[in-house]
Amino acid sequence: MTTYAVEVVYRGVFQKTLSRNICRGIVLAAHKEGKVGTAFGRYGDSPERNGVPAKYFAVVADDRIELEESLAKYEPKEVDVTICADDTLCRGLESWGWYGLQAINALTKENGTLIVTSKQTPESLLEDIHRTDTPYNLAILSGPASFSGLWVYKDDHTDVRILGALAKVLPGLVGLESYCQAIEEQWKSGAKVVSARRSYEQLHVRPVEPGEGSSAPRFSFEKPGWEEMKEALVVQGVAKGAGFRGGDGGFQAGRSEVFKKFSTRTMRPVINFEICTKCTLCWLQCPDTCFDVTPDGLYDVNTEACCGCGVCEDVCPVPDCITMVGEEHFKDNFSQYDWYQRDKEGYRQWLKGITAAQSAQKRSHGLHHWGQYQEELAAAGRGDNDDN
Amino acid sequence: MTTQQLRPIRGVHNAPLEEFYTSGHRTCQGCESALVLRLMVKAAGPRTIVLGSTGCMYVANTTYYSTPWVVPWMHTQLGSSGSAATGTAAGLKALMQKGKMRDEPINVISFCGDGGGVDMGLSAISASLTHPEYNHLVLLYDNESYANTDIQASGSSPWGANTTFSPPGRERRIMNTRWKKNTAIMLAHGHPKSRYFATGCPSYSLDLMNKVRKALTIGGPTFIHTFDPCPKGWDYDPKYSHELGMMAVEAGLWVQWEMEDGKLTYNGPSRMIATGRRKRRPVVEYLKRQGRFAHFTEEDIAYFQAQVDEMWEKWGTPGISSVKLDLTGDRA
Amino acid sequence: MTTRTQTPVEREELISGSEAIARACALADIDVVTAYPIRPYDTVMQFVSKLIADGELKCEFIIAESEHSQFEIVKHASAVGARTFVGSSGVGWFYAMEAIAVTAGLRLPVVAMVGNRALDDPGAFGCEHNDALAVRDLGWLLTWVSSGQEALDTALIAWRVAEDPRVFLPCAISADGAFLTHAQQMVRVPDKGLVERFLPPYRRGEFQLHPDNPITIAPQVNEDWLMEMRKQSDAAMRRARGVIVEACDAFERVFGRKLTPFVEEYMTEDADTILVGMGTLAMPIKVAVRRLRAQGQKVGFLRLKWFRPFPVEDVQRVLSRAKAVGVIDRDYSFGSPFHSGVLSHEVRSALYDAAARPPMVSFVAGLGGREVTQPLATEMFTIAGQVARSGRSDNETYWIGVRGKQS
Repeated sequence: MTTYAVEVVYRGVFQKTLSRNICRGIVLAAHKEGKVGTAFGRYGDSPERNGVPAKYFAVVADDRIELEESLAKYEPKEVDVTICADDTLCRGLESWGWYGLQAINALTKENGTLIVTSKQTPESLLEDIHRTDTPYNLAILSGPASFSGLWVYKDDHTDVRILGALAKVLPGLVGLESYCQAIEEQWKSGAKVVSARRSYEQLHVRPVEPGEGSSAPRFSFEKPGWEEMKEALVVQGVAKGAGFRGGDGGFQAGRSEVFKKFSTRTMRPVINFEICTKCTLCWLQCPDTCFDVTPDGLYDVNTEACCGCGVCEDVCPVPDCITMVGEEHFKDNFSQYDWYQRDKEGYRQWLKGITAAQSAQKRSHGLHHWGQYQEELAAAGRGDNDDN
Repeated sequence: MTTQQLRPIRGVHNAPLEEFYTSGHRTCQGCESALVLRLMVKAAGPRTIVLGSTGCMYVANTTYYSTPWVVPWMHTQLGSSGSAATGTAAGLKALMQKGKMRDEPINVISFCGDGGGVDMGLSAISASLTHPEYNHLVLLYDNESYANTDIQASGSSPWGANTTFSPPGRERRIMNTRWKKNTAIMLAHGHPKSRYFATGCPSYSLDLMNKVRKALTIGGPTFIHTFDPCPKGWDYDPKYSHELGMMAVEAGLWVQWEMEDGKLTYNGPSRMIATGRRKRRPVVEYLKRQGRFAHFTEEDIAYFQAQVDEMWEKWGTPGISSVKLDLTGDRA
Repeated sequence: MTTRTQTPVEREELISGSEAIARACALADIDVVTAYPIRPYDTVMQFVSKLIADGELKCEFIIAESEHSQFEIVKHASAVGARTFVGSSGVGWFYAMEAIAVTAGLRLPVVAMVGNRALDDPGAFGCEHNDALAVRDLGWLLTWVSSGQEALDTALIAWRVAEDPRVFLPCAISADGAFLTHAQQMVRVPDKGLVERFLPPYRRGEFQLHPDNPITIAPQVNEDWLMEMRKQSDAAMRRARGVIVEACDAFERVFGRKLTPFVEEYMTEDADTILVGMGTLAMPIKVAVRRLRAQGQKVGFLRLKWFRPFPVEDVQRVLSRAKAVGVIDRDYSFGSPFHSGVLSHEVRSALYDAAARPPMVSFVAGLGGREVTQPLATEMFTIAGQVARSGRSDNETYWIGVRGKQS
């Protein structure tokens, strides 16, 4: 008697359809093998917010009675496979207040597998992923994260490629042939079946030993009892802001201590302070209040608060003053302004390199215009719903 | 009761540095409604109480123990932004006049989304505007759907938009055929003792902050309706939130205006359009940027454009009110 | 030594139950009151508005555009520290139900009058208790009064208990439509100075919404928090019991009139058969008790004054010594156990582990404002008497005064 649980950790809204497709695909394929299952999104993530980390689950058991053990739950206690649909989530996810940054492998079982869609190497990803006490496997499905929106889905086959990968790392759950049958039935697409088979063959799996990975501490928390909680549904407001770094000049907003938004971010603004005209727009138009105002009138991104929406880049009137750069280029939430103040030349060099590296990559955070996804898929040589 | 005398902010460089709505919310990337709230309290200042109706700006803003609010804030029910404003202002007035609380002008701002203002709460907002003795502002942030509950059509959702209650399907391409607009002018018409009504858009942040200041300074109940691009429900890259707000104004789809003591003026690009100094941009540019209209045919685009054209070409007050004066017709 | 003229501390006046509560509003110096018309409760607001017009009460009187707004407005006024009063009846109370529910959750000490009225359809002005009973699970203190005097006294107690920081829960005072809201009786109205000695000012303290106290009230929670919040409300309701007892003691000290906090016992001490009920039906029942006593029957009546918190100890103490108990509901709970009303269920539940569990029978009477007359009261005693003789509960519910079959 066995129950298998799989989680998909994904970017809210951008990957909602993708994660749903994956988990439904698992349950429908399991059905082909006479197993029963359930697919559900983590209730607390709904309503989803663009980019805010969310989870979707599939639980499969041999029979109905066994499955019931796993029903009426928000989240399985542990999973056989964690699928990380965007590698910038490897550093951890903060979905709500209070719980802090939770490790991507927090629920992954001993000897379980973490599948990541990524163009990075396992070693590079392990710099981000929290270390564990027990061994597990890291599987990389090579490719960029697939993002689209609520209404228009970018069908780049990421969903079925992940199903193919799953057949490889957890054959006991469902075999490849059952996935292929389910995919054929669901999408009536031979091309998608081919994609699933190809990813099954090409998947790269690397065992991870205990102690390998990032030494960043795991966030732990306690939930107070009702006697300790303030009554009348009251919480204290955020403290008032003060001068930049506590000094007299500039301004640094007070910020919530129990919810930071940076794990929502896939890109961050990088600033060329030397061409900034201090026009205020990045600061003024930021929905997340993430720019600290320096005493000399420049704007420093508070990278704990920034969720990477990119509005600042869009409103900045100076070309190349603000550039959105992928999170894979960063390891922590350092202050660009502090670095610039300490070592102007070093900052200039870094800025040059990083913006050049970024210009080769395309931002993909949802729709820019109708027909965009078809154009992108055609350019990548993959037609939508190609059923040959 | 006196009000705080909030001076107009002359230029973005003079915008107050202090923040009273700050990080700590878990709204979508590029959430323009969050920006509206930030600008709203930035303009209002520290001696302010804010009441917030159920909606994105409740659920996404606060997750227990976390809050983005520096000023005192309290939740109110979906349909009670007007009642929350009235109740808070009345409580403060009574306590101050009876000497039970230090007498000082405190700003009271109550906000609601389009679900809470265009739909359910309209009657309570109307009632709140009938009390000249209470100073408060009701701010309606309009992202054109019940975005919090999963993007369901509201009275404010545009014609044809894809929502979870109006999905395009095999039999019917267009499920939402309603067109309810201009809540601010609807309210302005019936509440002659309320001194200030305005529309705003966070893409024009200085204009919005100054409108909030005017509304709070002038006294009595006031109303502002903002137009907030919503990357989630409208389906576009969050980076373009600011740009889409401007596109809507420049296409004449959203009209920037204010009415002070009965005098109506157009603001910003809307003024240029109304005075003929600027042509409206075609709405197709705006529609094509959003997934919620991706099912539109050429015919749908033409219909949509025609609706906007009618607002500007046929209405008594172009873009704002369809009321037309006619003294020549036969007596009924 | 100077001789001071003793001013009367209480003055007798001929006023209705609604007017008595309106007078309590003035005595309590309420800050914000909201009105919306619906019979029969709105008579209280007619009196309040007149008191304001005549300068007897200084407060914000707001005519809302719906009951929902009516209750929302006082909720928010209460949050900034204002003493409030509100009320409704029947379907009006139901229209406000969302606001009513959250007021309790927010722990705001709003005091409301419910002029008990049948729930439409069909439109009906008469008294039924289902309106007020609908909030019995939400964290509202809930009391039923049976005279104009009790209405006034209970209103003063209501603010004192609700606004006590150990409690901070809203309180609804139920008054039977017509019989109490509209009927005038002699009522002793105390001096304001006396009331000030009894009723301290409302201080919201660390929960007050004010720029000097920048708090966030009622952020969204998930499953990790709400249960603890509900437990806090539960603890507050448990504490309310002691606070009510304290208030009644203080009431006697200040006004010199003794109030039993939770129940009124009428000739129950040696009674074999006891009827239980709430509100104005107490009057004809008491008449029946006296007449039956004159015939040598050992009967008595127990009136519950507070329904929330429910006076379990008093109910057990008084009823467990009876040979039979009959519970009269001026409400219905269709399809419930034994098809009886709400009060009957509560009394049965309270008696389940009483030292001696008396046999029971249930009655539904007086629906739609139908009079519960003395002969009907006698009829109920007769049925309950049969239960006493049989020594076994009769699990039937008898509709007293209905035309046609009773059960």
